[in-house]
Amino acid sequence: MIKKQYSGSARRARNIIWNAAGRYDFDPPFMAFFSNGHPDQYFNMVAGLVQKWLDMPRLWDFFLSYEGDRRADEFDDYLWLGLENCVYEKELPERPILESLRRERGELFFVEMQQMTRQQMEYQSMPVFNQQEYRWASVCGRRPPLLTPREKRISEALRFSGSLDTDGVIAAMQAFLQSFFRITPGDEVRIRKANPLARLLFRHETKRRDRLLVRIGTGEGDHEKARQQRHAGLGRHVGPSPEDRAYIEAVFGRLSRTPEELRVLENELCVGPDGLCRLWITKGERTSTEDKDALEVRESAERQAKRNEEFQAAHAAMIQGSVRALSTRIETIFSSYFKHLPEQARAGRIRPEDAWRLPVLNDATVFLKNGEETEPEICVDLLLDASQSRMHSQEVLSAEAAIIAGSLAKIHIPVRVTAFRSLRSHTVLEILKDFGTSDCRGLLRYYAGGWNRDGLAIETLGRLDDETAMQGRQRILLVLTDGSPNDSTPIPAEGLLLSREYEGDAAVAAAEEAVRRLRASGVRVGAVFHGNTGHLENVHRIYGHAYVRIQKANQLAQGVSDLMLMLLREMRTD
Amino acid sequence: MDQLYSFLENEGVDRALLEGVKAFRDKHPTEGENQNRVPQPEYYYYGKKTWELALAAILAGKNLLLAGPKATGKNVLSENLGALFGRPVWNVSFHINTDAAYLVGTDTYDGNRVSFRPGPIWLCAEKGGFGILDEINMAKNEALAVLHAALDFRRSLDVPGYEKIDLRPETRFIATMNYGYAGTRDLNEALTSRFAVLDMPIISEENLQKLISRRYPTISVKIRDQLVKLYAELQRKAESAEISDAALDLRGLLDAIALMEQGLSSGDALDMCIVNKSFDSYERGLIRDVICARIPADLTRNVVFSQ
Repeated sequence: MIKKQYSGSARRARNIIWNAAGRYDFDPPFMAFFSNGHPDQYFNMVAGLVQKWLDMPRLWDFFLSYEGDRRADEFDDYLWLGLENCVYEKELPERPILESLRRERGELFFVEMQQMTRQQMEYQSMPVFNQQEYRWASVCGRRPPLLTPREKRISEALRFSGSLDTDGVIAAMQAFLQSFFRITPGDEVRIRKANPLARLLFRHETKRRDRLLVRIGTGEGDHEKARQQRHAGLGRHVGPSPEDRAYIEAVFGRLSRTPEELRVLENELCVGPDGLCRLWITKGERTSTEDKDALEVRESAERQAKRNEEFQAAHAAMIQGSVRALSTRIETIFSSYFKHLPEQARAGRIRPEDAWRLPVLNDATVFLKNGEETEPEICVDLLLDASQSRMHSQEVLSAEAAIIAGSLAKIHIPVRVTAFRSLRSHTVLEILKDFGTSDCRGLLRYYAGGWNRDGLAIETLGRLDDETAMQGRQRILLVLTDGSPNDSTPIPAEGLLLSREYEGDAAVAAAEEAVRRLRASGVRVGAVFHGNTGHLENVHRIYGHAYVRIQKANQLAQGVSDLMLMLLREMRTD
Repeated sequence: MDQLYSFLENEGVDRALLEGVKAFRDKHPTEGENQNRVPQPEYYYYGKKTWELALAAILAGKNLLLAGPKATGKNVLSENLGALFGRPVWNVSFHINTDAAYLVGTDTYDGNRVSFRPGPIWLCAEKGGFGILDEINMAKNEALAVLHAALDFRRSLDVPGYEKIDLRPETRFIATMNYGYAGTRDLNEALTSRFAVLDMPIISEENLQKLISRRYPTISVKIRDQLVKLYAELQRKAESAEISDAALDLRGLLDAIALMEQGLSSGDALDMCIVNKSFDSYERGLIRDVICARIPADLTRNVVFSQ
C-alpha cells in the first residue's frame, strides 16, 4: 500500500505519479510499492490523480496532523482507500482504461493475498486488510468477505464521492477519524496555518549558528530527508568573524594561497551580492586544532571517505567501464570533430586557383587533403557542489567525479577537481585533485555539508588560472550541480533594496551573472545536472543550453561527452 | 496542390494570403524538367497561425527559419510549402562536416579538364527552387558564410573562378533547426538575421486529433483521443527531462496506428513504434508505464477502427 518512503524504484514510482498528475514540479509525499519493492502502478496513479484533482499540500497537512498517533499508518491506509474511490470517479470519464487498471489491481491483491506467509499476515492490520479485501472483491466482482456491521459502516464511509472537492474530502476524512477512532486531528494543522511568520522566526531563532552536519538521518529519503534538503538544519549567518575563519581553517585545512593573494581575490569578488562573504581556498592540509566541533566534522569526513572508497571498490567494474567509455568518446570527438589542417596532395579537393599547373607544369599536387590533426589544447576544471543537499548521494558523486577526472586524465587532458561549499560566510574551495597529478584518490575526500553559493564559487575558480599546466590552453569548467544555490549569508542591502536571503530567484540570478562573466573572459562553462526536476529551470537559466542531466551513473559517459562536444564546438566556431 | 489549397481554405487561413499564393504560382509556373522535384505531401501541417506566418514570409520574399523542438512538424511544413507554391525542392541535410563545396558545388577533374559540378544551393538558385536546409545549426558557422550573399538582399552566389549567378526571384530557402538538446547550438547572428524566424509550436491536441482523423478516417474517436493524450503525456515527460525525446515521435505514433490497421495488437504496435525507440531499458519501462495508463495492450484492429 501507500507508504511514505523512497526506495530503489522510487524514480519509476515518481514518474507514474507525475504523469497522472500532469505536472512534474513537485516531490510526491507518498509513493506506493508492492512488498517485492516494485512500484504499484495503480496506486501511484491514484497518488498522482490526487495531486491533479485535489489540493495535496492541504491533504498532506491533514496527514501530518495525526503523525504522532501509533495508528498513523493504519489511518493512512484507510484514508487512501477513500481517496482512491474519490479520484477514480473523477478521472474515469477522461481515462476509460482506469476501470480495467482498477480491476487488475484488485486481482493482484488476491494473488498477493494467496502468496502471503503467515508472518506477513501477522504484520498486517487485519481491520485495514478486511477493508481492502472488501473493496477489491467488489471491484472484481468476487464474493466479499463477511464484515461486522461496524466494518460495513467503515466501508461505506470510505467511498468518498467523486463530487467532493478538497474541503469536502478533508471534512470526510475528519468525520471518518472522529466517528470510528475518536481522533480529532487538526490541532497541528491549525498551528501551521495560523502563523507562518512564527514558524519562520522560530526557524531563525533556534538555529543561530551554522553547524556542519554530515549524514543525518537514515539516508533513505524519508520525510526527514526532505527537511534536510531544505537546509532546515542550518541557519542564517550575517558576516564572518575571526573565530569563523579559525573554525574554517580547523575544519577544511590550511590556506593554499598566500593571505595577500586571498585578499586580492576577496576584494575583487566579494562585492555586490557576495559583499558579506569571504573566501577560503585549500588543498585539505590539516592543521592541529582543539575545536571539538571541527574535530567531529573531520571524523565524519573521514568516515565518509571510507564509505566513498567502499562504494568505489564495490562498483569498480562499472567505474572502469565508464572511464573507458567516456575517454573513448572524448577521444573520438577530438579526432573526428576538430578539422585537420589541409595540405597539398595529388588527390582530394582540387584548388581551382592552382589548377593551371596540372597541364602546364604537369604538377599533380593541385589538390588538398586533410593533414596532420590539430587539436586545440584544453584543460578542464571540475567543480563539485558539496553542499548538504548532496548528502544522500555523496558516494555516487564521488564516483562520478572520479569517472570524469579519470577519463580526462587517461587521454592526457589536465584536469583539476574542486569541491565547494559555504559555511559561516566563507565560500570554501577545496582542491581534491590538482592539475599536476593523475592520481584521483583525493576525490575520496568528497563529502557533503554546508551551503552552496554557486556564483561566488564559480567565479573564484575562474580566477585560479595561474597554474603552469594551464598555460596556453583553453579552459573548460564543468560544474556538477543540483541547480539550487542557497546560502545562509544574505545578499546585503543595496540602495533602496533591503537585505535578501541568498536563495531562490536572487541566488539563481547571481549564479547566472557569474557564469556570464566567466564566459566573457573566455572560459567555457557547462553543467552536469544531478537534481530534482523542479530545479531544471534554474540550471537552464544559469547555464543556458550548456548542461546535461544525469540520473544514473551509466548515463554519465554519454552525457558528459555530449556536453564536451557542445563546448568544444562553441570553441571551434567562435 | 489543389487539395492542399482547399485544405488551407477549410482551415480558415487568411484569404488574401491564399490569393497571394495563387498569384505567385501563376507568375512562376513549374517547369517540366523539375516537376518531379515538387513534393507530394503525405501529411498536411495543421496550425492556421503558423501557416499564415509562413505564407506571409515567403510571399514577402523572405527566407524562413523554422525553429522548435522535435516533432513540431518542421519538415512537414517545409515540404507543404514547396508543394503549395509548386516549386521544386532541394533538400540539404546539414552535418558537422558540411562545407561550402558540399553546398554550392565542387571541382572535378575528368581527365581532360577541371569542371564545376553544381551543388544543391546552386541548382536551387538557378532553377528557382525551394532549398530546405535541414538542421542548419548542425553545421559550423564558417561553412555557412558562403550562403550569406544568397540569403540577404544581394540574392547571388559567387564561386571563385566561375561565374556569379543571381538567384531567380522565386527562389527561397527554408531552414529548420532543433533546439533543446545537447549537440546542437544556436546559429550565429549574421546567419539568423537573414531569416524570418518562425518559432514552431508544439502540435495542439486538437490539431493532432485532426491529423490522425485525416490519415485514418475510420479510427475510433475514443481511441484516437486517448492516443492524443498519450502523446501529450510523453511530451510532458520529455520536457521534464525524465525521458529523452527518443520516444517523443509523432511519426512513430502515426506508424503505430498504421501497424494496428495491419492487424497488430496495440501493445505490439506501440512497442515497435514508440517504446523501442529508446535504447535504455529503464527508460523503456518509464515509457511503458505511461502507455499502460492510457491504452490497453490488447486492442485489436476491430476495436481501434470501429467507425
